[in-house]
Amino acid sequence: MRLERIGREPEFSRYMDLKEGWLDRRIFSDAEIYEEELYRIFARSWLFVAHESQLPKAGDFLTTHMGEDAVIVTRQPDGSIKVYLNSCPHRGNKVCFADAGNTRRFVCNYHGWAFNTAGELQGMHEEYCYDEGDIDRKKNGLRQVARVGSYKGLVFATFAQDGPSLDAWLGDFRWYLDMLLDNEEGGTELVGGCIKSVISANWKFGVENFIGDAYHAGWTHDSGCRSMNDGQPFPPIDMENSYHASVNGHGWEFGTEGVGDLFLLGRPKVMEYYEKIRPKMADRLGTMRSQIFGSVASASIFPNVSFLPGISTFRQWQPKGPMQFELKTWVIVNKAMPDDIKDEVTKGVMQTFGPGGTFEMDDGENWENCTTVNRGVVTRHERLHYRCGIGRQIDHDTLPGIVYRGQYNDANQRGFYQRWLDMMEATDLGAMPPRPEPRLTGVAETRDLPGLFAL
Amino acid sequence: MNQTTTLERPRTGATASLEVTHALTQTLYREARCLDDEDYAGWVAMLADDLHYHMPGIETRYRRDKTDQVTDLTRMAYYNDSLDEIKKRLLRLETGTAWSEDPATRYTHIITNVEVEHTDKADEFRVFSNFYAYRNRNERDEDSLIGSRIDIWRETGGAYQLVRRRIILKHNVMLSKNLNIYL
Repeated sequence: MRLERIGREPEFSRYMDLKEGWLDRRIFSDAEIYEEELYRIFARSWLFVAHESQLPKAGDFLTTHMGEDAVIVTRQPDGSIKVYLNSCPHRGNKVCFADAGNTRRFVCNYHGWAFNTAGELQGMHEEYCYDEGDIDRKKNGLRQVARVGSYKGLVFATFAQDGPSLDAWLGDFRWYLDMLLDNEEGGTELVGGCIKSVISANWKFGVENFIGDAYHAGWTHDSGCRSMNDGQPFPPIDMENSYHASVNGHGWEFGTEGVGDLFLLGRPKVMEYYEKIRPKMADRLGTMRSQIFGSVASASIFPNVSFLPGISTFRQWQPKGPMQFELKTWVIVNKAMPDDIKDEVTKGVMQTFGPGGTFEMDDGENWENCTTVNRGVVTRHERLHYRCGIGRQIDHDTLPGIVYRGQYNDANQRGFYQRWLDMMEATDLGAMPPRPEPRLTGVAETRDLPGLFAL
Repeated sequence: MNQTTTLERPRTGATASLEVTHALTQTLYREARCLDDEDYAGWVAMLADDLHYHMPGIETRYRRDKTDQVTDLTRMAYYNDSLDEIKKRLLRLETGTAWSEDPATRYTHIITNVEVEHTDKADEFRVFSNFYAYRNRNERDEDSLIGSRIDIWRETGGAYQLVRRRIILKHNVMLSKNLNIYL
């Protein structure tokens, strides 16, 4: 797919200097930059569209957005997953109005054009009105995305025909993702339902908060932490043994103490559960990763998915203009967990990171005000400070990626904006440099869950 | 715990007397005033020890889809709380560090369409109501949450306590950044 806009002389490097550690505020509010993001980032990235557990049976579907493009994600009879625009090729109307369900076909309300779950045009109301040669059914199906792929249950799609494979896109970040997706036999699933809210802030504020901003947690969320844990303050941060790791714009910040995020969830039974499976987790993922899981940690997958390993909120920041995003949240649990532990996790997530959660309530307020204050023309030209920990990069024997020591750091944020810049300026995605050179070879260092379908 | 009348059964109960209906309507208004005034101690005093306070997250689905999105408690919910869990949430406001609550939000709960029915238990009543909860904060932040509720209220010592509440918000995407409010 060629988007005409790509190839224009890019000048986005003037909006940041990541070696110096500053960003121009206009990337958080400017309408033209936002339009370019839709073309250059959202129409070309691998975007999360579903978890396989949401589509267990043939005919199961859900609707979502890739950037601002509405799409349908469906499970096919052969087990594969298709993703196509939720827009009729006749006049453009939506063909599906439900968030999720199971169906044999999608029929447009306007003129009755009917599509099977593969997105192929099957027929229409009063078909005789079309003379021979008027319509080629094969060419008038629902517009498919270019590529669909999955990694351990997470389904991604991209409109870009060319560009990196999903494996290359995720790269060594898979080493980290396995702590969320593969810490126990059987992998993960999303709890039923999706809760959506609207925040009048730029989408990047949500992503960068989760990608690396441990720094805000002890201050912004003091009240949340104390309410969940009988008045106890935030767990202490060990700057020697905590890290930022950035891979291709994805990022995971984490301690190695193993319990911080589990503590914040405020559910002792969940903490006990993970303590029980931790030896097995170490067999599965190695000692280092079994110590990282459950620590104070947060992560984002470029460009717009975030989660808290241990707290188990899983979320997507869907852009809705430069100054608004829709937040979709789910609860991610291990399939092997007993039902009562799944319920404990679900209640814990909703009490901390649901819209009424004791942590969530203080975040949205911050991001909105970070964004809307830039209506001021003087304000919007002021730079923002992203230098924290800029001199603390290290080489680590075990940890892949661009690694910085000390969890209080802007390193992953800088990594995210570096990738943002790479994509905003790239004419050819294949020419984008890996950040950093991958260390792991193939998928040997990760594991394949049994029973997943090749897409 | 399941001794208490469920929200579903009996499907329809006899309308309560004018006196009980009046008393419970006044109780709903008093509860709303507690919430508007941030008098959470006053509110908690109106909640029964065996409270279940539930606001399910409901996706938009086709009519033919029979997925139980309301009573299946394993699904995601805005609230799915016991009294202890409500109290945990309320602790946040007592820490002095709930930054986004200072300056305070201005709340108004408007409660309407009150119907009171008998249940199988003499001291428990099913109460239907609608709400319009308006919030305004800082300079011009505002939003409106509109929906319906089904409650079970239990008479104890001349007053009524809330035992069950199911809140159905009439949003799909909640058109607000958060839920720093009880409904």
